[in-house]
Amino acid sequence: MKTAILTDTTKCIGCHLCVEACKEVNHLPNDMPRRWDMRDGLSADNWTAVIRRDDDKFVRKQCRHCLEPACVASCPVAALHKTNLGPVVYDKTRCIGCRYCMMACPYGIPRYQWDSTVPYIQKCVLCYDTRLKHGREPACTEICPTKATIFGDRDKLLGEAHQRIRQNPGKYIHRVWGEHELGGTSVLYISDVDLSFLTYGARFGEKPLPVATRPAMEAVPFTFLGVAMAMAGLRWIIGRRDKVQREEGSQEPEE
Amino acid sequence: MDRVRRLKLLLWMPVGLGFAVTVDRFFFGLGAATHLSDATPWGLWIGFDVMSGVALAAGGFVLTATVYIFRLERFHSIVRPAVLTAFLGYVAVVAGLLFDLGLPWHIWHLIIYWNPHSPLFEVGWCVMLYLTVLTLEFFPVPAEDVSSLARVRRFLVKMRIPLVILGIALSTLHQSSLGSLFLIMPYRLYPLWYSPILPVLFFISAIALGLMMAIFESHFTAYFYRRKPETAVLASLASAARWVLILYLVVRFSDLAARGQLHDLVGSAWQVKMFWFEIVVAGLLPVVLFSISKFNRRPGWQWGTAAVGVGGIVLDRVNVGGLIDLSRGAALYLPSWQEIVTSLAIVAGAVLVFLFIIEHFRVWEERPVDPKADPKRLPELNPVGETWLGAPVIAARIKYSLAFVLAAALAFSFLANPKVEATGIVPVPAHRARGDVGKLPGISSRVSFNSSLTPSPSPASGRGGTAKRWVRAKRQKATAIPAGVLYLDGDLTGWGVTFYHQREVERNGGEKSCAICHHMNMPHDQNSGCYECHRDMYQPTDAFRHNWHASRSGANLACIQCHEAGYPRTSAQVKPCTDCHKDMIPPGATIQVSSENLVDASGEIRRLITPGSVVKINTYTAVSYVDAMHELCVGCHAQVAEREKKPEVAQCAECHKGKLNYSDTVNLLYQRTAVAGRRVVMPPPPASPGGAAMKP
Repeated sequence: MKTAILTDTTKCIGCHLCVEACKEVNHLPNDMPRRWDMRDGLSADNWTAVIRRDDDKFVRKQCRHCLEPACVASCPVAALHKTNLGPVVYDKTRCIGCRYCMMACPYGIPRYQWDSTVPYIQKCVLCYDTRLKHGREPACTEICPTKATIFGDRDKLLGEAHQRIRQNPGKYIHRVWGEHELGGTSVLYISDVDLSFLTYGARFGEKPLPVATRPAMEAVPFTFLGVAMAMAGLRWIIGRRDKVQREEGSQEPEE
Repeated sequence: MDRVRRLKLLLWMPVGLGFAVTVDRFFFGLGAATHLSDATPWGLWIGFDVMSGVALAAGGFVLTATVYIFRLERFHSIVRPAVLTAFLGYVAVVAGLLFDLGLPWHIWHLIIYWNPHSPLFEVGWCVMLYLTVLTLEFFPVPAEDVSSLARVRRFLVKMRIPLVILGIALSTLHQSSLGSLFLIMPYRLYPLWYSPILPVLFFISAIALGLMMAIFESHFTAYFYRRKPETAVLASLASAARWVLILYLVVRFSDLAARGQLHDLVGSAWQVKMFWFEIVVAGLLPVVLFSISKFNRRPGWQWGTAAVGVGGIVLDRVNVGGLIDLSRGAALYLPSWQEIVTSLAIVAGAVLVFLFIIEHFRVWEERPVDPKADPKRLPELNPVGETWLGAPVIAARIKYSLAFVLAAALAFSFLANPKVEATGIVPVPAHRARGDVGKLPGISSRVSFNSSLTPSPSPASGRGGTAKRWVRAKRQKATAIPAGVLYLDGDLTGWGVTFYHQREVERNGGEKSCAICHHMNMPHDQNSGCYECHRDMYQPTDAFRHNWHASRSGANLACIQCHEAGYPRTSAQVKPCTDCHKDMIPPGATIQVSSENLVDASGEIRRLITPGSVVKINTYTAVSYVDAMHELCVGCHAQVAEREKKPEVAQCAECHKGKLNYSDTVNLLYQRTAVAGRRVVMPPPPASPGGAAMKP
């Protein structure tokens, strides 16, 4: 079973209960605006946020738990990994603090404890250890009073999303965000506003980001061996040529 | 040697500054020492120290290849300095990385936890391996003078060719995979730089950079040690560098053409200008200058051209490493002075070690000798301080120490305040409800607002945003409020609640009902508005204004008029406000202010006032406007809903009508009553975990 979250922004009333529930379950301290914030509500102490847009629409932001996550592909010590259930979880005992995941994430989700001497990456883990493993849904979806954000099987939620759009064609933009782009995500959105602002740029297609590095990474062993062999061969050939030239040179005066 | 001494004196200063910053960074964290942020997690330390450090060390593999693979023996004299430069370059990279990593003591995790899909994993491994190879390649030089290491040395010399080949292969991977790092983040690079063949471009430019770095470094030491520059040998290196640069330009532009990005080459974006500047400095200018043989035969021109080319390719690395991405995100990233100082200190430290090794080991055919280094020489008079500092060698050490200590002290003095910057919580002042309560049945005297204490908002006051919202809200609502109705819209966003004041008074028993809601008044006032104490929309405010009471222009009270003499002057040892202000709490109010401790177990003030219950508080902290309104209204509505079996009375949509669609809202009351001390209480887990199917 691949779990997922479907957020219907038209149902969100902006009560922030999901944010408070997340803090409660994950033992996060109260948030404080800091210099390094991205002003989108997310921070090391806020794993989900409700963005109130200028057009008075609410959009909940959280980790998208991509099907092929860029953060997982980029982490050099495999501190992040995609579980079978769906969440992308973080093992802080492995982390070296390189922040490559923060650079790689196309949604700008992972945040850092900049004020700490022993800093870790902080992001939504879909309540994997605290609730999901024990058969309970994440705190944010459970507490949501309007069922604007719901939890379930990804395929079923996709069906539900398309059904809602079909039933209310005038209400929604005819697109399920997270279905295809960048390989798809486990956090899906349907909305009456364009949600491209949740990503860094709208110009990626449906190809997952790790695909971009794959050719370069696959070439590594061949490059290594190829260069080593070419160098050894060149040295031998050039040495041989020099030797022949020397011999010819030493023979010439005799002739 | 006077030039070298002056250079060293100069280099010890950034090292001193860097020492102080090191303490700052490792004691107080990255946030205190850098301007990195969630939007720009990589800054100068990655962009310059790591990206450029690795590139600058390219001379090692380029020259070992030249001499040992292509067997061009005439370059043999510059191999050792080049390998030394590469070795120190990599040590500097690792040092910079230790500053940048959040958990540098975990750096060895790269060895035991593998993720072969990550370019950074490959970079890390190549750095480790290549640093080892460089150490082994260079070790025979310092081992020359130690007879006990002779066997190790002989073995390493025998292993030289395999080591050189290994080093070249590792460098190839490593120089190129610095480019691969950025392939996964197309949105962070301007299209003129982002390319699938970024690794190839990085590799080609690294070769050119390695050649030019060897030229630069040779002239650099020749100048400072007053040696004869090896211009003729270096000229052929320059000619090779020229061809590599031409190849680089051809590949780069044909890649742009192949990706259809040529139209990006013209434009007014600063990135486009930066691109052309980079191309000129890193490519065209060195190619042209190296091609003119008149210039290429002169040491000064050679040195200058190499410096320009090195600078240009370093600029390319810095551009990719983050410079062209500066303007993205919420805030502009500019490196903090600590970041700049650390980078300088690492470079300065590397140069100092370089000079030390050159002077003490046989990097050149013969070691540089200092004619004044004879320890038996007489001391010299320092012309500045007129002091005798001993022999020049000793005197120089004193001066270096002084430079280091003074620089460190200066940096420490700037670090005195390690407070990590916070932007502070934005206050959202609550404003008076609009509308008129009109004539109230059964109440003879009209309710008077004491508006002198909290002036009603005007478009001119407050932040620009507030004024704008005020105007907008006024335009939307001012015309439509009938008498007896109040429009509660504390932050003036037009998202308010219509409150039928007159109707509530009628329902709740006329004049007697006032105290249900108006539980406290401002002094000399009746029925003060909620906003007068609950002054902020989201944060608790202090209803008691201490400074105003103590100031001469305010109440002009002496301390002992409220705080009893002989006791600590705290909020616990103070007489209640009601001793003076007898009219503050109206008779029958649901809140009484007393000094009794009636806070709840969690230390928070009791919340959720329900009419009829008397809540005593021992502080004049007023909860936020939003909380005050919700708790007052929802508490009463919940009772009505229960008594009259009308659940809809307690639902959000009962009050929040209009702009938002609350029709889907189920009863929020459950969650709202569960709020205790700003914490949500999650519903208990089901008796039997029904999610067994959710297990992987």
